[in-house]
Amino acid sequence: MTEALELAQRVLRAAEGDEALAVVQSERSGMARFASSEVHQPTLIENQVVEVQIVRDGRLGIATSNRTDDDGLRALAARAGEAADSAPPDLDFPGLAPPVDPPAVEGFDEETASLDAEDQARLASAAIDASELDLYGFFTSGVTEVALASSTGVAVSQEMTDAAVLALAAVEGASGYEERTGWRVGDVDPAEASRQAVEKAKLTRGAVELEPGSYAAVLEPPAFAELLAYFAYDAFSGLGVVEERSYAFDKLGSKVFDDKFSLADDALDPRGLAKAFDFEGTPKQRVELVEDGVLRGVVWDRPTAKRADGGQQTTGHAPPSSLRHWGPLAFALSVAPGDASSTEELAERVGDGIYVTRLHYLSIVDPREGIITGMTRDGTFRIRGGKIADPLMNLRFTARVPELLAELQGLTRDPVLINQNAYYDDRYPTGLLTPAVATARFDITGVGSGPGV
Amino acid sequence: MRVYQFRHQRARAIVATPSARASRALRYAAVRELCEHAVATALGAGASYADARVVVRRAQVVGTRNQRVERLDDTETEGIGVRVLVGGAWGFACDRRLAREGAEAAAQKACAFAKAAPGGHSRALAPVAAAQGEFRTPVERDPFAVPVSEKVDLCLRAERALAHEDVNVTSASVRAQREHKVFVSSEGASIEQEFVECGGGIDALAARGGVTQIRSYPSAHGGSSSQAGWEFVEALGLEREAPRVGEQAAALLRADPCPSGVTTVVIDAEQMELQVHESVGHPTELDRVYGTEAAYAGTSFLKPDDLGSLRYGSEHMNITADSTTPGGLGTFGFDDEGVPAGREPVVREGILSGFLTSRETAARIGSGGGGSMRADSWSRMPLVRMTNLHLEPGEGSLDDLIAGVDEGVFLQTNKSWSIDDKRLNFQFGTQIAWEIKGGELGRMLRDATYTGQTPVFWGSLDAVAGPDEWRLHGLTNCGKGQPGQHAHVSHGTSPARFRNVQVGFAQ
Repeated sequence: MTEALELAQRVLRAAEGDEALAVVQSERSGMARFASSEVHQPTLIENQVVEVQIVRDGRLGIATSNRTDDDGLRALAARAGEAADSAPPDLDFPGLAPPVDPPAVEGFDEETASLDAEDQARLASAAIDASELDLYGFFTSGVTEVALASSTGVAVSQEMTDAAVLALAAVEGASGYEERTGWRVGDVDPAEASRQAVEKAKLTRGAVELEPGSYAAVLEPPAFAELLAYFAYDAFSGLGVVEERSYAFDKLGSKVFDDKFSLADDALDPRGLAKAFDFEGTPKQRVELVEDGVLRGVVWDRPTAKRADGGQQTTGHAPPSSLRHWGPLAFALSVAPGDASSTEELAERVGDGIYVTRLHYLSIVDPREGIITGMTRDGTFRIRGGKIADPLMNLRFTARVPELLAELQGLTRDPVLINQNAYYDDRYPTGLLTPAVATARFDITGVGSGPGV
Repeated sequence: MRVYQFRHQRARAIVATPSARASRALRYAAVRELCEHAVATALGAGASYADARVVVRRAQVVGTRNQRVERLDDTETEGIGVRVLVGGAWGFACDRRLAREGAEAAAQKACAFAKAAPGGHSRALAPVAAAQGEFRTPVERDPFAVPVSEKVDLCLRAERALAHEDVNVTSASVRAQREHKVFVSSEGASIEQEFVECGGGIDALAARGGVTQIRSYPSAHGGSSSQAGWEFVEALGLEREAPRVGEQAAALLRADPCPSGVTTVVIDAEQMELQVHESVGHPTELDRVYGTEAAYAGTSFLKPDDLGSLRYGSEHMNITADSTTPGGLGTFGFDDEGVPAGREPVVREGILSGFLTSRETAARIGSGGGGSMRADSWSRMPLVRMTNLHLEPGEGSLDDLIAGVDEGVFLQTNKSWSIDDKRLNFQFGTQIAWEIKGGELGRMLRDATYTGQTPVFWGSLDAVAGPDEWRLHGLTNCGKGQPGQHAHVSHGTSPARFRNVQVGFAQ
């Protein structure tokens, strides 16, 4: 039994109620953040957060603390108990999850777990030294553990590692972007990311404007991942369907996308940042969301599944309790690859259009319609004659994602793991596996700033 | 009014929990000694400068949705963060143990990280007088003395008042937070502060025939908060406003989509909050101007040399950064570098007049002394953040603004928001709009968006409503930094009128 799981059991013993669930999240991480090729925000974090959920007469109260001594745990249980006593009974409360053995998953690497501040600084330095332009970004690595214990017999824990480098090579009027993420630091080459960012940046000098309109487009994995993640918050959430704000609300079983588009949520995939169970203790499973363009499903947690008509079951997608108002979340989206050998081949298929490296500051304009706005940045180009051509200013897009997905000229063969963690609050590594994609329709509605700093 | 009153208690424990109901009382003297020990450890490990910051926070959120309690969370966190300069390089580390070993570990690790950090490093800090001070939020009703059941009841009552046959999701939430903070620096600063925040909001989501619409009060995205006691939540009148909110959500289902075109817009005070935040607040953060957020949040269209000369907007545009505003979420006695609160112009009659600075960026630009550095917890390094950034009022009323429009649109309550990495091209959507014809409001419109380029847009500002229309809005979801940090920020704004604005999309 791990120390975190032992702590979860201690929390459970301090709890007084009909049912109780204890969740422990531990983090030891370091981030060497750099700008203008100097580390300017180096942050080392060690923390352990304990949460207890107490159920009394169908009333649920939750309390969280990072004090793990006996006094701290007693106070924690008392606060959760007071919260439970103050709540009205929830007639739809599904009860806590039963104990089920979680699947064995990858996701922990001793070498990554052993990285210390000097290593993190060294790996940041490797990125900086490989760049002939000013470099902005970070190297980070961490080891995290999630442990759950409940009065229903759940007793699970998982230790995870993650490492990531973000490289933005930038000077005035030019910038290029690259990133690498993995659970093994050996899969994350800071110097190579840096070199690719530099090569991209060199191509962005002399950016020109583009008339707003609908264009065919190649979206590199970071751009497509960002767009898909925003779309998924509502579209592939069981709560979104229950509340009729999901694009999938009345379309499950319908063919609405290009038949080259298939999407799953697969936290078991060792190429991603694998998870064995969700924050209710339900084992993770692969969930088919889109198969050959047909909307097949959404993800569920226990409370949302109970609220839904039609006897839905949890799919193991309960988020941390601090995010429960979002409903179940697909933290491990995985796009099926296509047959294109490279983004250059996708550009050939597009013929005339635009090429997008990365997106910035997305916002959901209409969840039901799947309309999302945002900007491109750090590598936007015109595609002419099937070749990546002149650089463009950053473009505002306001895209109906379902229309974007309705006609795809292709996807690349090799999915890339794109980091989905902005490292707010408690670290919980998540990533999205996707190839690059070529679409017939990407709606540009304005022009913004140019590349570079 | 600011109240300075701290109890200094000597006890074995640094923090004690008197009961589940009350927040933990901080033993300030003991915590100060802990910070002093961390600073001394850092100096002994080679730091030329060090500061230590202990934060003890309790936060409570009660949220209901469709008459079910969705959130009933009570969160405590505590720890110490130590920031050092070693050889001109920053280092930061933290530890959750409020004990000597935790303070020492954080200080030593911060120094080790700084020594290992690559780069040329010659960071200097603008001078600041070593402050010995205290600050405490004035509170009439302690939010943690308010029974949780009262908070639940308030949310459920407000939700019931939102009900309408076309509204399929009603939700209400209230929040409270108490934060104790102690700051000690190697330059002699020793500061104790206690902040209390409260807030709340309601939402009604209507859906019919494939159309989904939302209305919120008093703000979208979680309501509005203030640095105040529970009296702020009581004054919001959530239950009172709920019927209008529910009815408008339902009415939007039948409203016409807002037509596209270049026209005059009158923007309500709440949406102006976000307009100021995104297109003035973030671009004037001097760390962004110097590129230190380039990889994530972005930079700024402003350059250091623009100070005092760049025309940001029309002569009606006056923006002030004010960390002394009563009730502001960015109000404090001292920032997280020990710089005292103040009030400074950022834009005066349309001309860029100031940046939001840290001691480091102030030294680099050779102007100002910092005062905008804040961290969102003990485990994060302070960043340049907005404090309270206000659009100063003009004159007249909202009705006066509308009366001056032959043809245009009145836009109310944010729905979506996006702006480019240099803060030039923005696009906002609002929950509701009204046609303006002949100086009067006409039909209700849905799905309104407007877009522009920051200085062009602010250049088209031709009127700001007066002090009677000026409201303070508090938001708690301003993201920045890596690792990410949420800042709590307030903006005081009045409704404002802009000419020749692109509404919807260019045809």
